[in-house]
Formats: sequence, C-alpha cells, structure tokens
Amino acid sequence: MHKLSVAFQLNNKSVSLSVDPNDTLLDVLRNQLNLTGTKKGCGKGECGACTVILDGEAVNACLVPIMKVMGCSVQTIEGIGDAEHLHPLQEAFIDKGAIQCGYCTPGMIMSSKALLDKNKTPNQAEIREAIAGNICRCTGYVKIEEAVQAAAEKMRER
Amino acid sequence: MKEYQVVGKSVRRLDALEKATGMGTFTTDLVLPGMLYAKVLRSPHAHARIVRIDTSRAEQLPGVEAVACFKNTTRKRFNHSATMTFTVPPMEAVLDECIYDDVVRYVGDEVAAVAAVSERIAEEALALIDVEYELLPAVFDPVKAMEPNAPDIHTRKAGCFLCGKNIPGEKIHLALGNVEEGFKESDVIIEETFYLPVQKQAQLETQAALATVSHNGDITVWSTTQTPHPTRQILSHIFEISQSKIRVLNPPYIGGGFGVRIGLSAKAEPIAVDLAMKTKKPVKIVYDRKEDFTSTDTRHSGIVTVKLGAKKDGTFQALQLKGLLNTGAYCSFGAETIGVLGAMGLSVYRAPHMLYTGNSVYTNITPAGAFRGFGNPQAMFAIESVVDMMAEQLGMDAKELRLKNIIKPGDPWILPYSCQSTGLTECIEKGAKEIGWERRGKLNKPGDRLRRGIGMAVGTHVSDAWPFCGDFSNAYVTIQADGSVHVASGVPDMGTGTRTTLGQFAAEVIGVGMEHISVTIADTQSTPFDIGSHASRTCYVAGQAVMQAAAEARSYALTYAAKMLNEPLENLTIQNAAVYCRGERKLTLAEVARHAHLHNEQFIGVGKVIPQNAPPWLAHFAEVEVDTETGQVRLLKLVAAHDVGKAINPVIVEGQLQGGVVQGMGYALSEEVLFDRDGRSQHDAYHKYMLLTAEDMPEIKAIIVEAEDPTGPCGAKGVGETGQVATAPAIANAIYDAVGVRLKQLPMTEERVFQALQNQLN
Amino acid sequence: MLKDYLLPASVDEALQHLQAYSGKAAIIAGGTDIMVNMAEKKISPEALIDISRIGGFKQIEEDGEFIKVGAGVTHTQAARSPLLKEKAPVLAQACREVGSLQIRNMGTLVGNIVSAQPAADAAVALVALGAVAEIADLQGKREESVEELYAGIGACKVDCRSQLVTALRFKALGLNQGSAFKRLAKRKALALPMLNVAVVLSLKEGAFEWVRIVMAPVGPGPVRAATSESILIGAPVSHEVIEKAAAAAREQAAPRDSALRGSAAYRRDVLKVLVRRALEDAVSQAGGSL
Repeated sequence: MHKLSVAFQLNNKSVSLSVDPNDTLLDVLRNQLNLTGTKKGCGKGECGACTVILDGEAVNACLVPIMKVMGCSVQTIEGIGDAEHLHPLQEAFIDKGAIQCGYCTPGMIMSSKALLDKNKTPNQAEIREAIAGNICRCTGYVKIEEAVQAAAEKMRER
Repeated sequence: MKEYQVVGKSVRRLDALEKATGMGTFTTDLVLPGMLYAKVLRSPHAHARIVRIDTSRAEQLPGVEAVACFKNTTRKRFNHSATMTFTVPPMEAVLDECIYDDVVRYVGDEVAAVAAVSERIAEEALALIDVEYELLPAVFDPVKAMEPNAPDIHTRKAGCFLCGKNIPGEKIHLALGNVEEGFKESDVIIEETFYLPVQKQAQLETQAALATVSHNGDITVWSTTQTPHPTRQILSHIFEISQSKIRVLNPPYIGGGFGVRIGLSAKAEPIAVDLAMKTKKPVKIVYDRKEDFTSTDTRHSGIVTVKLGAKKDGTFQALQLKGLLNTGAYCSFGAETIGVLGAMGLSVYRAPHMLYTGNSVYTNITPAGAFRGFGNPQAMFAIESVVDMMAEQLGMDAKELRLKNIIKPGDPWILPYSCQSTGLTECIEKGAKEIGWERRGKLNKPGDRLRRGIGMAVGTHVSDAWPFCGDFSNAYVTIQADGSVHVASGVPDMGTGTRTTLGQFAAEVIGVGMEHISVTIADTQSTPFDIGSHASRTCYVAGQAVMQAAAEARSYALTYAAKMLNEPLENLTIQNAAVYCRGERKLTLAEVARHAHLHNEQFIGVGKVIPQNAPPWLAHFAEVEVDTETGQVRLLKLVAAHDVGKAINPVIVEGQLQGGVVQGMGYALSEEVLFDRDGRSQHDAYHKYMLLTAEDMPEIKAIIVEAEDPTGPCGAKGVGETGQVATAPAIANAIYDAVGVRLKQLPMTEERVFQALQNQLN
Repeated sequence: MLKDYLLPASVDEALQHLQAYSGKAAIIAGGTDIMVNMAEKKISPEALIDISRIGGFKQIEEDGEFIKVGAGVTHTQAARSPLLKEKAPVLAQACREVGSLQIRNMGTLVGNIVSAQPAADAAVALVALGAVAEIADLQGKREESVEELYAGIGACKVDCRSQLVTALRFKALGLNQGSAFKRLAKRKALALPMLNVAVVLSLKEGAFEWVRIVMAPVGPGPVRAATSESILIGAPVSHEVIEKAAAAAREQAAPRDSALRGSAAYRRDVLKVLVRRALEDAVSQAGGSL
C-alpha cells in the first residue's frame, strides 16, 4: 500500500504519521491512533457522530481525507477534558441527563464546543443550528439543549 | 408516600462520565489481536433461488481468510428475535431462517460473508463472489400476500405454523362480551381504517458483534444485543454447542436499541461466530448504515380497522379492532406484535363488548420486529383518531369523552392480570392544563393561511413481556469485604439508565449511598439468567429481582451484625452504610463485612422474580400549525403526561419520555421507509430517512404522574416504551382541529396533508 | 485507489497537477461530495488535488459593483458574510439551508456548482444573481455564466481533467432591488430540498424592471422560470400579476415523482406558492409595496 506522511496538531500535540491516503481523518483517529471516542454512525456526513473540531470549525471526520489535515489543528473528545478535569460541556451533559446511549455524545459535545468557543451567549436558535447536524435518537434533544445552555453559563462565570 | 434515601432522586448516571469523555467502549470500538473483519454479500433481489454460487475467486484474494455461504455453513433454522427462547408451549416459536439460505426473500437478505484482514479487502472480496439467481415471484402488499395465488415465501418445512397463506404464527382472537350485541345497543357507530408505515429504529450504533473461539471451543461474543442470555441460547441452538461454553456480553455500552436487537443483533452474532469458527481467529462485523436500514428489523407496517359504538351520553358500548401487520420476509416478533397491538388497543377504554382479530403476514420486504411500543402505536393511532371522531359526532368535548370511558381499577378488561393503579385522569388533567386545552377550537380566524390546532390522545402499555411470552428475572447482590455492594443482573443498558436505576434499588434496600454501588450487567458469565432489556421491563422486573437480592444480602448482614453486637435482630437497621441499633450508630457496614469475611462468610443475596404486570398510563397533547398552502405541519408544543408508578430516577424518566415523544413525532410526520416495485428500500440512509433534528423540535414538556402500583418495585411501572404510544394520534387530532381534515395514514407528510386539504375543497 | 494527495499553493500549480495526471486526478475543495462519491465507489481517482490552500480562494470581496467569491469559500462563510447578507441576501440565505453546520463548514459554493446536483441551494441562488464562473486552464482564463454550466444531472460543463473554477462573480444588489430564497424540505436540517426557489428583481417606478426567478429541482439544473419573468417585466407591481407569474412557473416546471422529494403533482402545486411568496418577499425587500 502506498503511504504518505502527514503532520498536524492533534489535541494540542504535534503528530506526524505515515498514512494510507484513502483513509479519512475518522479512520486514522479510530484505527491508527486508537482514539475511539470519535464515533462512526454513517460514514457519509449524515449523522454527526464523528464530529471533531478542525481549525476551530465543527466537521464530520468521516468526510475529511486524512491528508487534508496537513498542518491543521484537530481537536477530539479526548482532547477537551478528562475525568479529573472535565470541560464545562462534559460536566453539563452529565449533570443535566443529556446522555443516554452515549453514541452521539462525543460528536454532540464537539459541535457544542465549536459553538461556545466562538459564541459565549448563544440563543436557542444558535444552539440548535450548531447541533442540528448531530442525530440523537435517544434524548429528543431537550436535555442536550439545556446542557449546552448550562455550560455556556458556567463558562461565562469562569 | 414512603420516604426514600436514593430512590426517587436524580442521582448521576453511573455511565455518564465514561460516555462524556469518549472513554466508553462500544462493540464498534473493540479490537483484538489478529482480528479479522467480516462483510456480507446481500441479495439484490426480493425473492430468488441461488442456483449457483462460486466463492473461489473471493477466497483467492490475498487477505481473505474465509468465505461463508449456505454451502459450507450450518442451515439450522432459528428466529433472530428472542421469541424462540421464551415462547411458552403450546405456542410454538416460528423458526424460519438460517444464517445463509439457498433462497433469498428480500433485498438485503444474507447471501454470503467474507472474513479478511481488513474491512476494505473483505469488501473487495464480496465483488468476486459469483452468484446466479433464479428469480421467484415476489409480493410486497400484505393483503395480496394472503391471496391464494400469492407466492409462498416460506414452506411448512421451515417450521412455521401456517394458519393461512403466508401467515406466520397464530391468528389472534381476543373477545369480551359480544360485539354484535354491543353495536346493536349503540346510538352512534364509527368504523374507519388506518394505514401505518414502516418505521426504523435508526439507533446510532449499527448492529455489531465480535466473536472469538478458544482452542477448547469456548465462544465469547461481544455484541450490541439487548438480551445476552437469550442470544446465548439462540447461538447454542444454531451451532449446537452447550450454552455453558458460550459467553455473550455487551462491551459494556450499546449505542441505542429501541427493540432492534432483542435476540440477535440482526445476524451479526452468528455471522461472526461462524467465521471465527472457520478461521480460528477473532472476527468482528459492523453493519454499515445502509445494511442497518435494509437488513435489520423495522416497526411493522400494516392496516388497522376500528369500529366503535357509543351511547348518546358517550358511554362506549362496543369496540372492535382488526389488525394486519406486514412482518416482511421473516417472522421475527411478528407473532407477538400482532397480539400486543390488540391487547393494548382494547385495554385503554371500558366497554362491555370487545373483539380483536389480527394476524401478521409475510411479504418480500425487510423483516419487521420489535420497535419501542411493539404494536401499540399502530393500535392507538387508529383508536384515538376514532375516539376523536366519536366526540365530534356526539358533540362532546374529546377530553371529557375520554375521561368518561377510560379504564378504572376493577373494571373488566381483556388482560389476564388486573389493573391495580391508574393515574390517567391526573395525566389528562395536568396535560390539558399545560397545553391550554380550553383554547381548542378558538385558535383561528376565517381565512387564516396558517391555522393552529390542539389535539390529545391517551394510551397504556406494559411493564414486562408476560403474558405475551415468558418473563422472569434473577439477580445477585453481594456485600463485599469492604462493605461495598455489587449488583449483578443480566439486563443490558442500551442507554435507558438501567445500570443506574438497578443500583439505586440496591442502595435503597441495603442502606448505602450510590458511591458504594457497582453494577455488572449484560454478561452471561457473571450474571444470572435474565430475558433482557425490552418490554419496558428492566426497572419493573429486574428492579424487583435486585430489590429481593439486596434484601436478602441485607438480612444476612444484619443477622451477622446482631451476633457481633449481641443485640436482637429487630433492633438493627442499616443506614448510610452503617449498622444502627435503636438509632445509635454501632458499626460500619464495612466493619461487619470485614469481620464476616474473616470468619468465612460473605453476604450474598439472590433475587428470583416471576412478575405480574402493571399498566403505565399516558396522555399526550399537541399544538400544531398547518400551512394550508403547502400542507406543512409545524409542531409548536408537545405535552406528555405519564403515570410511571414511581419515578426511580426522575431525570432518567424524563429522558425516556422526551426521547419517546420525539420518536412519536417522527412516526407522526416524517419517518417512513418505502420500497419500490422491485422491493428496494427507498429510505436506506440517514439523509433519506427523515429523523427529526434539533432544529425541528417544538417545546416538549414531560409531566411525571405517580400512581404507584402495588406490584412494582417501590411502585414503579414500565416507562421505556410509553413515550411514543399516543404521540401520532395527538398530532393527527391537532391537525384535524386546525384544518378539519382527518389523516388516516402515517406519516402525515406535507404532501398527504396537502392532498387531504385539496380533497376537502373539492 | 488514491496514491497521492496534492496541496498546490497556486492555480497554476493545481493546473499543472491536473495535466500531469491526465484525467486520473480529481479536485477536492471541501470534500463533502467527493468523499461520499469515493466511498460509494462512483469515482476512484489516483490523486486528489486539494485547492483549499490556494491564496485568495477563501475571500469574499467587493470589486466595484461586483462581488467575487473565491473557490474555497464555504457555505458557512457565505451564510455569515456581512457583505453577502447586505448585498446578496438570497445567497447568504440559500447557503444557510444546506445540509448541516458540519457540511456547511466544509462544502464550498464552487463545489456546489461543479457537483451539478439539480437542487443545489447555493447554485439556485447564484443563477438568480446572474453569477458567472471564472474558469482557468493552462491556456488562460475565461468566464461562463453559471446558468450555462449544466450538462445534465450531476454533469458540469467544466472539464475537471484540465480546468478549475477559481471564483464566482455577480453584481451586488443595488437600490430598488431585492431578493428572496424559499425552500420546501421535510425537515429543517440535513434535508434535500423538495423544492427551492430564488428570486432577484429590480423595481423601477412601481413596476418590475427586471426579474430572475430560478426554481429547482424541476430539471437537470436550476431552471429559469422564463414565462413568469416575461409576465412580470414591465408590469406594475400587484398581487394579481405575481399570482399570474407564479401560476406560469407551475406550468413551466417539470419535476419528477420522487420517493424522497414527493410527487411531481404536489411539487408543481407548491412551487406556485413558493414562487409567489419569494416574489412578495423580494418586492418588499426592494422597497416595493403590495
């Protein structure tokens, strides 16, 4: 197989890898780097389960060819907080009961983070626009919306 | 009402932290050393015989380690749903499928599978399998499928009991009184027929399994199943291997279920096990999204006819229901769903005369099986539409008519267990207040282009699977040497919060906080038998088993403490993980357990529950706005008032209700899988199948009503499925209120509403 | 299978790569279409030439009375651009409707045109704006009207073996001009349009000076409602004439029955409503009164 080299910032660390150019960013995250927090729900950009932040914007990792991230900055669910240092969004998703099966959760949190990184006071329509590309079949979005709102408040207080 | 320490509190979910940080493991995430990847070749035809299949070119592709098809694989018949493990004689489970057959019966049916070192190579190999098909006549319409000249989709040899052309299982007949008499006694009779669509669970994690076979033949399967123990039984049956040599477990998380994997995860488990046996290597299969749409169970489409007779004062006199469900190419839960449709449909209202007849029928489309609500949403769309029509005919308020006729404890009903609790009246009153019911009919001015309307609908459901099939739960609760408490139950948690809820029961009963609780679920090796997570039963049945086990463990601990303290047992209690004697804190539970372990005793409780059943109740209210020029329906507000008996964890319960309601909204307005005239799915992707998005959400208000049931754990009743039982008819009734057209087919798409408005004009 | 992935820094470099691969390379900008096509094996190029790093491609700029949109401009950029919101609101509106935010963050307007799907929202708006595409090849640059680029469903006249669309150009809306975009879809996000309509018009002394009405998917690409336009041009603004123009659009349109988008009959009926509503909104934006 023909391999190419790619270098980029992943969760604020430099990585350089030898990759199959046919792989997507999602393939490389999950299969090569074992970062399985980013989920695969459809592989065609239709569900948002694989949402990551690429140079500040929420994108579907399944539609990004790995070589496209050359020189870019990629953030995944693993890079925004851990059990000891939760991101306010992770805290709010837990506290508000916004997590059921959890399969959409990482993507949902990354979409929300991309929003809150730019907009500290989102209204309902802005939150909905940010997460409308993330399908959730469990929650009916009610508690997710509440969680994003709560996280925004918490981030403003800090 | 009883005071609880842990029950009734919205404690933090035990799985939330792992899921929020991306650390939770799902089947799709699993990797084992040397693991192979499986891909499936699926039928392009709706009905065909395989006259020749040549896998040699695929086998020669470098990286391919095995190719399986009907020629080299067991053809032991099974049913991929758990029905084959808990159908109680004299009823017989329909065993009508094998892993690969020489006949394919729908577009997407399994023809062959490849195990290879990568998913990409496995997929390449599929293209190298040469198959020659002899096309057979196919039938897609459930009515036509029962006609004498319709093609036979199965033979009696397949183990189906055919009580009519293409009918799997039994014809269901439920009767109370004499409906003919009842209709004679009625002043007003309304009879209408309703058409229900194929709805898809569309859970986020597709069907998946990873199987390994050890050198001594022990099989381990991690999968997305909602029922590890029954799945083990099915695998044992298919491969004729002792159940004790098979371990089935969740890894531990499942990305949703909604009924799509009660039993096998479609065929993920047997395909993986078979290829693992053939290759002697771990084999993982993950369905892609298209396969998940085309080749895993759906909700049954079908036709429901309701005939309702009432006295002038609104008293229901006779209710007759007829059901026909399209179960697709394989029976799955087709024999049970048709029963639940009738039983639930006849259990909401009191009428002296009732009759239900119904059956499922095979056609050459994707098999239909279990999906949240299990026949009940089909029944209630029809019934609640007709009740609304009856109110109009009688000149009565639709809410008052319902209040007058709903079942009360002690009323005769069709079910073999009694109704011992109902909070439906409270649900109706609270929901009506929240939606502003008094505004109904006063929302529009003549000539308004956008017209608003309000509608309601009610319903009930079950809290477990009995009497539709066998139902029981077992649990272990163990107090460890350090006083911490371990719960073991065989039920999975597909996201519904089961793990947490079961933990709450154990914490409450023993008298410790949640920080002392750990829960093992969904593993045949470390949990006792349980029929799994479905039928809204985990809290109600597994909860009882855990409470029983916890009570036993607690009593051992107290008995032991009584000896240690030399005090009579009746003086002792456990609170806050400590033993109290007449209100005085004497020993920590850890001290007692440690002492016991040093003297060769562990406190192990076993719970064994054969449940009764209990009806949860619900009233849904919808406010809509209809664009009369385009037919588009905009939901403004949805109120779901539910009698859940007792909300063990209110935030979890609300989440169940909100999520269920949104599935009901999709069922009402947009979700539908259609098949073209060759039987090909037209809605086999997320961009084609219209799940509602965050931007489509109305205001949703979930109201919890608690009419505790004496049979339930702490009074709890089922809540998992109730959310979408009556959403669609509430919306249909709101549309009628808005524009005066009665939609009799779901989903009520913009085009169908537009068409109905056009018909109204003409 | 892909063997290489190229990130040219200039148009010329990109064109050299295209030539070197003589038809076996494909251009990728946002990738939202091409990645799906590759996954479904509809195409399997040997190399991808990623044009998103080419200098100036991310710009939306005013150039006299024209607005120029670079080939790397995404739907999100366009939807949020203050310049477009003010001077070509129909385009900003159309871009906001596409797919989901994740798709809009990657997918480009030029890609929307080159993919040549019949109901591409941005393309419908661009045709209504009378946009032209700047097309470069090794011989030089030329301009072609976006409306003329469609060669059939999913087929664009730009020869992607040797040519590159570098930018789009259209006239900014001026005084007494207005625009509107209407869309019918089964849900508010992640939805293919069942119908979309874009209108750009200019009023003069209470009458329609000129009008462009574009509708889709009722043909292989965005379709101009020519009869409707001719009914309106020169006519005084009134409900009656708008109704007449909308009815003519209904007659002209030839949608097809579709399991995903609805029946032809339904969509023709609703098309009329959308054209009327778009005209009403555009007139009011242009300062006209009804």
